[in-house]
Amino acid sequence: MAIDRETLRYLGWWLAFGVLMCLLPFVVGTGTLRILIFAHFLAMFAMSWDFLSGRTGYISFGHPFLIGIAGYTTAILSFRFDVPIYYSIPAAIVATMVGGTLFFLPALRIRGTYFALVTLAFMEILYQLTKVVAPKITGGTRGISGLEAIVTGAVNNYYLSFGIMFAIGVVLWLLIRTRLGIALSAIRMNEEAVRSTGHNTTKLKLFAFTVSAAVSGIGGAFYVHYIGSIAPRGMFEINFLFTILVAALLGGAETIIGPIMGAYFLTVLLEYLRPVMPGMERYLLYGGIALVLYVVRPEGIYSIIVDAGRKVQEWRR
Amino acid sequence: MTATATGPLLEVRDLHMTFGGIRAVQGISFQVAEGETLGLIGPNGAGKTTVFNMIMAELKPTSGEIWFKGENITRVPTYERVKRGIARTYQVPQPFAEMSVGANIRVGMAPDDIWKLVSEGADHAAEADIGRSVGFSGEQIDMLPSELAMGDLRRLEMARNVAVSPRLLLLDEVFAGLTLREIGQISELLVEKKRKDGLTYIIVSHDLRALAPLVDRVIVMSFGEVIAEGTFDDVVRDEAVRDAYLGQ
Repeated sequence: MAIDRETLRYLGWWLAFGVLMCLLPFVVGTGTLRILIFAHFLAMFAMSWDFLSGRTGYISFGHPFLIGIAGYTTAILSFRFDVPIYYSIPAAIVATMVGGTLFFLPALRIRGTYFALVTLAFMEILYQLTKVVAPKITGGTRGISGLEAIVTGAVNNYYLSFGIMFAIGVVLWLLIRTRLGIALSAIRMNEEAVRSTGHNTTKLKLFAFTVSAAVSGIGGAFYVHYIGSIAPRGMFEINFLFTILVAALLGGAETIIGPIMGAYFLTVLLEYLRPVMPGMERYLLYGGIALVLYVVRPEGIYSIIVDAGRKVQEWRR
Repeated sequence: MTATATGPLLEVRDLHMTFGGIRAVQGISFQVAEGETLGLIGPNGAGKTTVFNMIMAELKPTSGEIWFKGENITRVPTYERVKRGIARTYQVPQPFAEMSVGANIRVGMAPDDIWKLVSEGADHAAEADIGRSVGFSGEQIDMLPSELAMGDLRRLEMARNVAVSPRLLLLDEVFAGLTLREIGQISELLVEKKRKDGLTYIIVSHDLRALAPLVDRVIVMSFGEVIAEGTFDDVVRDEAVRDAYLGQ
């Protein structure tokens, strides 16, 4: 991979972000760290969505389907069959990638709203299946609780979740800066024109779907072991889906960095609103904020920060 | 110009295309020799673009065969046809709207190999060379398609096609929406590319005056059928062609 000066400069920012976040546990309490752990998982899911939908334009409303496959696979293997989590988690990721190819099949024929609705149906089907098929294994509507933790304590979980999110972020970000990223964006703009420049768009889309599924798989598997349980209602809830979408769009779709920013913004906003708004009205407020931000700045928070940085540079000159 | 000793570059055999009850193309057959420029003309709805769509595999023919360089490519998908050396432009230019001219060319130059797409960087100098070869200035390479005039959008499609190194280029209404000056520039570009790269063209155009100096031979279509074939001067004098264009 050719790394130009601009990429190196951005990698410097990534490094600074990494160092800053690693120092955070020395400054803030465990309560804040626990909030940030949720932000890291949300960022993984939002990046997964962004790599697929933000890039290729195939809008997925079914990402909880992928996250659910990972969660249930590792939960069932480790809890029901005593498979060590060092095996159950990789197995869950592979299972999610296989699920990603299932997800991909409709994309061979449809796109736009129809594709989004089919993916939503995938989520709904898995929701119903986990409730009724082999409830002794899936735990039915109550799900499975008492899952083994990978590490214990807020600080360890913070570092683990941040490390995974950071690694995924850097890898995806580097990927989208290559010509592959450009080819995937071109699919969003005009798939027919991409084919007529000699590209097998099926292969490109399959790659995007598989990578997106792998990221969802990693996030989903680690997430259920962090919270220690999995249940269909929490996993396949429409609010969960919207939170992923809003994090990606609010942060700035097609940027990878944006969904991370969106995830931090949303999680922190929701958690700090909790004392003053303990009920569901919190979601009303966050929905309002998201709506205003999205209308005023559809490119997302990332673009606001980039513009601000540019203005500071101009002012310094 | 006749087919070379090694056979025609492109051969279309008894091509049919039916949309529901509408027979858009009814048994079209023709050949194009390497280095030839063929004009494909006819009134609106004659089936010219449908023929292009079938040659590019964007539409699957109801029946008939398409041969390229002696190979039956009827079942070959679009991207493989492009790799074999066929490329096209569209009636309405289809740039990647949010990408600069340079990035549009980059997509054309990019290999159809995921590993190479990731591991090999873009060749900005080669992108600029291709841009310049179709008449873009250095400044225009960084422009977005929305900042370009129609003539430049046609150039952009040419540049993206040049990037895939075609042998046969299908140009659909390449002069549509252009000023006289732009038509002259695009015509010069086509002649230049043919001279330098030995390109073969099939040109669909309603602008017969612009088309005339470029073509070696013309096929006239009407209601999905070939109604005349020959040199430009011959076909414009043809009674059936006059009827098709002007009515009896």
